[in-house]
Amino acid sequence: MKILGISAHYHDSAAALLVDGLPVAAVQEERLSRRKNDAAFPLAAIEWCLDEGGIEPDELDAVVFYERPMLKFERILTTALRAWPQGRKAFVHAMKNSLGEKIWVRGLIQAHLGVPRKKILFTEHHQSHAAAAFLTAPTDEAAILTTDGVGEWATLTVGRGRRTPDGATSIELLREVRWPHSLGMLYSTFTAFLGFSVNEGEYKVMGLASYGTPRFADAVRKTIQRTPDGAFSLDLSYFAYHTTVASSYSKRFEEAFGPPRLSWEPIDLTTEDGQRYADIAASVQLVLEEILVDLARSLQRETGLPDLCLGGGVALNGVANARILGESGFERLFVPPAPGDAGCALGAALYVDRVHFGNPDRPFPDHPFWGPPIGAGELARIALEDGLPVEEFAGDALIERTADDLAAGRIVGWMQGASELGPRALGHRSILAAPHSAETRDRLNRDIKYREEFRPFAPVVPAELAHRYFELPPGGVQLSRFMSGVFPVRSEWKAALAAVTHVDGTARLQALPREMAPRLHDLLHAYGRKSGVPVLLNTSFNLAGEPIVNRVVEGYSTFRRCGIDVLVAGDARVAKRVWSRATAEEELEA
Amino acid sequence: MTPSVFSLVHWLVWRDPRRRAENLLRFAEVEADGGRDLVRAAEVTTDPNLRKLFLKHALDEQRHADLFRGRGLALIRALPREGAAGIQADWMTPGERGLDDLRVEDEGDEKLLAFLHLSEKSAAKDFANYVAVLGADRPTQEVFEKVLHDETFHMTYTKKELERMAPRRAGWRIWSARLRRFWKAYLRLASALAGVFGFIVLTAQYLLVLPVFAWQAKRAERREGVGWRPIAPERNGSADRQY
Repeated sequence: MKILGISAHYHDSAAALLVDGLPVAAVQEERLSRRKNDAAFPLAAIEWCLDEGGIEPDELDAVVFYERPMLKFERILTTALRAWPQGRKAFVHAMKNSLGEKIWVRGLIQAHLGVPRKKILFTEHHQSHAAAAFLTAPTDEAAILTTDGVGEWATLTVGRGRRTPDGATSIELLREVRWPHSLGMLYSTFTAFLGFSVNEGEYKVMGLASYGTPRFADAVRKTIQRTPDGAFSLDLSYFAYHTTVASSYSKRFEEAFGPPRLSWEPIDLTTEDGQRYADIAASVQLVLEEILVDLARSLQRETGLPDLCLGGGVALNGVANARILGESGFERLFVPPAPGDAGCALGAALYVDRVHFGNPDRPFPDHPFWGPPIGAGELARIALEDGLPVEEFAGDALIERTADDLAAGRIVGWMQGASELGPRALGHRSILAAPHSAETRDRLNRDIKYREEFRPFAPVVPAELAHRYFELPPGGVQLSRFMSGVFPVRSEWKAALAAVTHVDGTARLQALPREMAPRLHDLLHAYGRKSGVPVLLNTSFNLAGEPIVNRVVEGYSTFRRCGIDVLVAGDARVAKRVWSRATAEEELEA
Repeated sequence: MTPSVFSLVHWLVWRDPRRRAENLLRFAEVEADGGRDLVRAAEVTTDPNLRKLFLKHALDEQRHADLFRGRGLALIRALPREGAAGIQADWMTPGERGLDDLRVEDEGDEKLLAFLHLSEKSAAKDFANYVAVLGADRPTQEVFEKVLHDETFHMTYTKKELERMAPRRAGWRIWSARLRRFWKAYLRLASALAGVFGFIVLTAQYLLVLPVFAWQAKRAERREGVGWRPIAPERNGSADRQY
């Protein structure tokens, strides 16, 4: 069967194509449109997926949308009505926002793809998350926990998934917490309060949390209370996202936590306000972790299962994930590479294939590389047009040359094979650097990523050597293959890994199995032979405000505009004529 | 309106330091957005010379963003803290529009160059007006002077490149771009008016027609309770419904 999954209209729209139960293509729209977090109907992504699969729309057996648009509209409308009369602006905004195209998804798909109505299917938002988490995980039976801001009505669900030896698959969601009570919205509200963009700045809150002490934890606990049945509810008097579009928090929230940070205000941790922001971040992070661990622990006791599959945007919180793995009683924790809405395109397609149509389960390839590949010879062509010398290497020579570059302190843009699905660069669209000195980290922040100093960089290490450098609990390597957990750096290696060790002594590592990205794995070993430490700093190949690069030309333009010294794409290598002391502008003038 | 009336409007708009700071911060965002679009233009073009110029232009825009942001922050730090941004009057202080209403991929190099030329020309004119009324704030005036210097280069190279690429059609391309700017300005105005009209109608509907439903929704909410809610088994597996 040929099934196309689509997610769109909230953030990170994406498409995924499944043929006979296995993905052949999946990509986020932002990688093609070059608009970060692009939420538009993913026409370019759909087109690319169909091209990649070599099929026409009329050959599709089903097109699946990742949520039920009418049910979502019902929630939006009901929320505005519940807030009457204060909700008038929210009502107007919601109507304008929804009635344009968001609720006419069936017609939209029909108009763009020309498929008959009966072939257009819908899963629930959290079913899509659950499927993306369970059906991509190497486990036969697992508990499932999904949690995000909101889908239709559900904000958190628990359930279980099962594969039987005859290939039948079931995903059963048992219960849910409903809007407006939401862990995702709690975290997003603090994200907004701390002056970061919602659905984008949550990473920053997590990074900032390490610089604070949770002195506001009790105040946060007043905003979210546990219910007698083990769930939670928000004290809505602290929040405003359910009544207005102007702000997500109320005056009472400001009274509890002080004045909010203005988005343009830099965070200076030496000031009283800067430290307050860090302490607030630490407090909400702590409370989130406590609740997630407790929910997971109850679920483990209830199901008695050793495996947990975690989905939804909150599953991007690596610090919380590590605590769940360590404290909930589950032996293994699976988080897909795209646990957020982008991954729902794939999840929805898998759900319909395995559960709705009842097709037999097939082992899912354990990697995130479902996007467009790099074009052979593209880098050589562009660089030669610009008069830059290009070197092409065969076999291991490229690995050795790149390891030399890294050992010499050069920063390398690294593009190989197909791009990753999900928000993280996992070895095919990465900026790599030596992980040893804090100076490298500062240079990356200053000359390349142009981002806040408090945000950490992540290390990548061969999976088989991860324990040597990091304190990993059982299941930690498995969780870290998609960079989904934050774990302590071993004390004896902290100095040698200064560029990737966060202020609290932890790192959000990627423990890379060779079969996932053989070239990067070889590079790590080659670098280890030269430096004694087979670890590299790995950060996403993009500049602030831009999506991760996709095609070589985008990698090249990024390379020309910032302090990256060397660009490697496939077998080709291009280096700046003047090493990194030159500004990008001087280099362009050269 | 005479130039002196324009000057008075600009003077009024830039007189208040808080509004001045907010405008500068907004300009910074617009410049950064425009820079990203120029990067896209550099990635899309097949002309190596244009690629280099677009990338340089993009770096200029980024530098402008940094200049505006730096000055805006300096101004705002010197003021007493306020929780929320004041009233925005974007239409009274146009910066560059960036390329926000242009899909770079859908444009050829010629159309894009014509669009850029006009956009830079218009921004240069606005910035020159701001320089003229900012005499009391020399640091802000200097920021605009620096940006203005680059705008002159941008205006020149876009025209020169357009004439190189389309020697016979350059004038027509610029006129065509000018008409498109007018059309888009009309669309912006029309959609703003439609927005106001929609706001009035929907607000009236909300306040006059929906109270009964609102009362029912509130009553249902009170009955709903909090905590776990079981998921009915029939919800698992069904994929035919939008509801």
